[in-house]
Amino acid sequence: MARAATTSDAFNAIAEPQRRDILDVLRAGDRAVLELVGELGIAQPSVSKHLKVLREVHLVHVRDAGRRRIYGLDARGLQPVHEWAGGFEELWNERFDSLNAYMQELKRGAPR
Amino acid sequence: MTDSPHATTADREIVITRTIDARRELVFEAFTDVRHLSRWWGPNGFTTTTRAFAFREGGVWDFVMHGPDGTDYPSWIAWHEITPPERIALIHGESAHDPDAFESILTFADHGETTEITMRTVFPTAALRDRAIEEHHAVEGGRQTLDSLAAYVAGQEGPN
Repeated sequence: MARAATTSDAFNAIAEPQRRDILDVLRAGDRAVLELVGELGIAQPSVSKHLKVLREVHLVHVRDAGRRRIYGLDARGLQPVHEWAGGFEELWNERFDSLNAYMQELKRGAPR
Repeated sequence: MTDSPHATTADREIVITRTIDARRELVFEAFTDVRHLSRWWGPNGFTTTTRAFAFREGGVWDFVMHGPDGTDYPSWIAWHEITPPERIALIHGESAHDPDAFESILTFADHGETTEITMRTVFPTAALRDRAIEEHHAVEGGRQTLDSLAAYVAGQEGPN
């Protein structure tokens, strides 16, 4: 299976610390590009480049407000990240549930 | 602690801790024999078919997990380190030559009548982590199928 490129995979997109910083700021509410530049102290061309990547993997969406473009979080891209982090833990929690149940069976000396 | 904290592993490491209501020797034993493992390793609704099993350092467990939706998941585990009844280090993958296998270290803490298991999994690179994502998504998919079925069956039974 081919590896996904940065621009098509949310996991790769959020591996970049500045892009995570942008997402952190957007958690507090929608922002225009220049507001992100001001809050993060990252140069505007870099912010724009990061926003382009984040848009392509559906981590942010954009809307036009007059002459300004306003960016906000897009849950579609984050969902696989949540599912992954939750999925692995859930699988193991379930497995440990089964182990615990099996242990009780053994302790009772259930015939097998 | 021999391991110094690595700031860079925090975002590719998962630690799961769980207390099992049984003595440590018994809990450890459940990891050592395929007769035991086949009873609890597969997620709910899964069955396993073992092709090879040798619980020793350097040994492997080569098996297939059959999902409730009929999907087969080839699975391969190699034991790196076995210290009864305290610690097991193992590699999970799809096959012997899976370049994307990853390691978990299980430790078993003796709490008298109960045992605390800690499982620490580190995904060494983004590529390995991505593979784990794909696999666990797949398993998660199978699990969700089963959850839906369980909810459906519970609904059919009505209030009791």
